[in-house]
Amino acid sequence: MERNQDIKIAREIIRLRLSQLLINEKYKANAFKIPIHIAIGHEAIAVAIDVIMGKKDLLVCTHRNMHYNLARTKFIKPILDEYFLKKDGLARAELGSMNLANEKKNIVYTSSILGNNLPVAAGLALGQKVKHNNAIVIVQTGDGAMEEGTFYESLLCMKSNSLAGLVIVENNEWSMHTRISERRTAINLSKFAESLGVGYKKLRGNDVYRYINELKTIRKHILKNKIPFVFEVDIVTLGGWYVEVEGNIKGRFIHPHAGPLSKTNIEEWPEIEHSSTDPVFVLNKHFQKDTLKAAAKKILKDIKAEIGGN
Amino acid sequence: MKYIQRVNELIVGRTSATENLVLFGQNIAAGSCLSGLTRNLKVGKGGLIINTQNSENTLAGLGFGMMLDGVSSVFFMKQLDFLLLGIDQLTHTYNFIRRNRPNASYTIVCIVSDLGYHGLQSSFNNFGDLCSIARIQGFTITNAVDAEAIINTHLVAPGFRIIGVSQRLFGKELPEVKEVYSNTEKTLFQYTEGDGATIACFNLSFPYGLELHSKLKERKIESSLFSVNSVTPINWDKLIVNAKKTKKLVVLDDSKSENLSYDNFLADVADECDLKSIIVVKRKFDDARWLYPNADELPVDYGAIVSKISS
Repeated sequence: MERNQDIKIAREIIRLRLSQLLINEKYKANAFKIPIHIAIGHEAIAVAIDVIMGKKDLLVCTHRNMHYNLARTKFIKPILDEYFLKKDGLARAELGSMNLANEKKNIVYTSSILGNNLPVAAGLALGQKVKHNNAIVIVQTGDGAMEEGTFYESLLCMKSNSLAGLVIVENNEWSMHTRISERRTAINLSKFAESLGVGYKKLRGNDVYRYINELKTIRKHILKNKIPFVFEVDIVTLGGWYVEVEGNIKGRFIHPHAGPLSKTNIEEWPEIEHSSTDPVFVLNKHFQKDTLKAAAKKILKDIKAEIGGN
Repeated sequence: MKYIQRVNELIVGRTSATENLVLFGQNIAAGSCLSGLTRNLKVGKGGLIINTQNSENTLAGLGFGMMLDGVSSVFFMKQLDFLLLGIDQLTHTYNFIRRNRPNASYTIVCIVSDLGYHGLQSSFNNFGDLCSIARIQGFTITNAVDAEAIINTHLVAPGFRIIGVSQRLFGKELPEVKEVYSNTEKTLFQYTEGDGATIACFNLSFPYGLELHSKLKERKIESSLFSVNSVTPINWDKLIVNAKKTKKLVVLDDSKSENLSYDNFLADVADECDLKSIIVVKRKFDDARWLYPNADELPVDYGAIVSKISS
């Protein structure tokens, strides 16, 4: 057990999880008019990105952006208020969930359209080059969006113009309700990146501390060499459930694409899966369970206090 | 001077005087430089000229990304229909950005493929269609007067817009025209003032309107010649007042799509004017030949129009 790790980072993982579970409770109660994509299971990469971002680094997100907005904003209330379309919401009720950005915290653009954000990220990186900023542009994408032409086009553009871009591929295997194997042939992303002369690394396991170390190294590499980098991370979007189907004992699996997670409930210890697919579970590698449970209890109390009667 | 020489001269004049400006597009500084549109491009201090890859969706988004970063840019593209690949950026991304009234400038300059004999791709010649989808500010350039006004006012200015140039006019000598009136936004221009008829030209049909004006003049009929250079909501008042005065209105539109820019104008005319005569010159699609390589000119029966006006 690596006891020298920063407990603040573990607290962030737990805060993101509990915040999402609270939002899910309200979602289940039909409290929102807008569609929301919950990102339970995606906390490790979001916290790691938040930790490694430099002052001038920019972040560009997708429709499933709750984890990054929670990580960067540090509070749930402005996000929740945006979901409620209140004027004092994070984006003054102008963006809702799927386009939610936070310019003050360097989330400068978020797109609800698959693959749309990659060209914009390339433009942001070109802007950084013109301004001679020693900063990188981080863009979130996924295994679905990488099927769009813009994934190839934007990487080509970043490489051709020596742009400092970090493309985070959150590979959760699913695009809405079809798995990769159900919709396309496999893509060897390593070879794809290599063909363009772009850096590539793949990680799995949801160990936020490992992600941070790797991403710090990658960020330095991008800044030094002015070449884009693809960082693929295997993720399981947690909260899926089974519905009864005649003749199928296990039932039919419902992947949690959008909408409330009907079978997921909020608990003081917010672990969903007892495996490395769950970033909260993985924290047990680094800290005593009692320490984590005490932290979770305090965080839940603080979040509830923050949102008050919301 | 030829149309393309003047447009190019104005573009280079504006871009070379602007610092930290990024000019990008395919072959903008290579080969024919988009048939002369981007010849001898220059940028001011800190600027860049980039010959890009062939990726219109990404290139359309590239300018918006720079805009978010506070960096101004101009994207030159060979053909209007190539921009169809970037429509998602023109709607979704632009809608995100326009909320905050950006200080940076982003302009897309594209060539409308109306030269003739280009076949299938030239069915898309209605510049307004592209602007309409997200109420994008857009301007067509049809002569020396509007070229100077639009390029000097809008090529580099806070916000986003599209400027369309006509490939059909590239090699043509610029006609002698003088401005009688133009609005502040440079979306409506008047070139002549007369009591005999009101001529309103839409899309890139100004040359046809100018020809009609000359034919009427030969018959001693003085007409008021207007060009509507934009589809974003504009104030028609000047045109409406003129039509009320002449009581004879000729509308010309060389667009090929179903929704035509003059539809809104005619709705207002119907609402506000009691005219003796309204003549609409538009394309007819009696058979499939409009899809095939053809001369692409808007057929205008000048004789019939002049007869009707004179009667």
